[in-house]
Amino acid sequence: EDAAEESNISAELIAQRKRLVDEWNAWRLRSKEESASEKRHGGKKAASLEKQPKEEAKEEIE
Amino acid sequence: MRPILLQGHERSLTQIKFNSEGDLLFSCSKDHIINVWFTENGERLGTYDGHNGAVWTIDVDSQSRFLVSGSADNTMRLWSVQSGKCLYTWEFPTAVKRVAFSEDDEQVVCITEQRMGHQGAIRVFKINRDGDGTNQSKEPTSFFYPVGSKAVVCAFGLNNNQIITGHESGKIAIFDAKTGDEVLNNERAHMDVVTDLQLSTDRTYFITSSKDKTARIHDTRTLMVIKTYTTETPLNSAALAPGKPYVLLGGGQDAMSVTTTSLRQGKFETRFWHKIFEEEVGRVKGHFGPVNTIAVSPKGDCYASGGEDGFVRVHHFDESYFRAKPYGEYEIEE
Repeated sequence: EDAAEESNISAELIAQRKRLVDEWNAWRLRSKEESASEKRHGGKKAASLEKQPKEEAKEEIE
Repeated sequence: MRPILLQGHERSLTQIKFNSEGDLLFSCSKDHIINVWFTENGERLGTYDGHNGAVWTIDVDSQSRFLVSGSADNTMRLWSVQSGKCLYTWEFPTAVKRVAFSEDDEQVVCITEQRMGHQGAIRVFKINRDGDGTNQSKEPTSFFYPVGSKAVVCAFGLNNNQIITGHESGKIAIFDAKTGDEVLNNERAHMDVVTDLQLSTDRTYFITSSKDKTARIHDTRTLMVIKTYTTETPLNSAALAPGKPYVLLGGGQDAMSVTTTSLRQGKFETRFWHKIFEEEVGRVKGHFGPVNTIAVSPKGDCYASGGEDGFVRVHHFDESYFRAKPYGEYEIEE
């Protein structure tokens, strides 16, 4: 019973870690693209709308 | 991991910095001295001698050509990294607590202390890189007083028009480097003094440490808190490890272990935390007093810590550090 519970917990943990990594990676990709476009525009407003689809695609790979 | 002990300071360390190649390590201390060391073997390459007070802060440009320092003697100095000569001295009414180069090496930002009827101020200077570096402008290109809680740490942000600041109250803010306007802030980024602020390689995020016992990663664009590392001890420094998903934290000792450990044992630790999972993954002991400052080489192959004990310890990561995946296989974006 204990062992069953333990493996349950670890499955949950693994799923949670996977989610944390996915969230982090999605934020990193978004952040890199938005910042690159902001830098290109000399610190002015970000014009990152056209980047959206590409970034979604990258998220899927993870 | 083989540690190298750098002995050359007589008082506590205040800041340490690697150059962009990672082959040189700069250290400054309350003993008025700035030293530069070879990272590889810990040999002292030279000294930058001239300050008449504690040196609180240093930064080196990306070409390892100029070093800038700030001191309790109310001056900021520009040094030739190679010759060790002081090229220029700026004088202020109060101590200089933090300095930083812009990404393009063209500007320096500095924070002066609030004291004796003087408000804490932020100044930005244009650095003249032509010639031998001695021909600098005395006047800042911008000069402003952050309202509210005083700024204690600063750096240039995503671009050269942006200054990120950490404040005594725990606030984090972004200022326009030209106008001095506060563009954005997070009043509750920390609950106590911000003690360190270090940017990621691409400057899109940064880590701060605080006396509130936490370190946090913030998004440079939005100032949103992305990650929080909650420890048991007030933190003096936090650094990001390039190439590995770790952050390195340093500060005092757990209140719990103070009574059980002798100061002679070198029990003050640098803590390694997993950047994504916000869990501690390891500790490296060694200092005989609180860890005041931590830096990781830009190549991610070694790190250094500077202590209240007056020592700098350089640790070259061994193969097991690079191989280790304590949580299994994850592809984590830098």
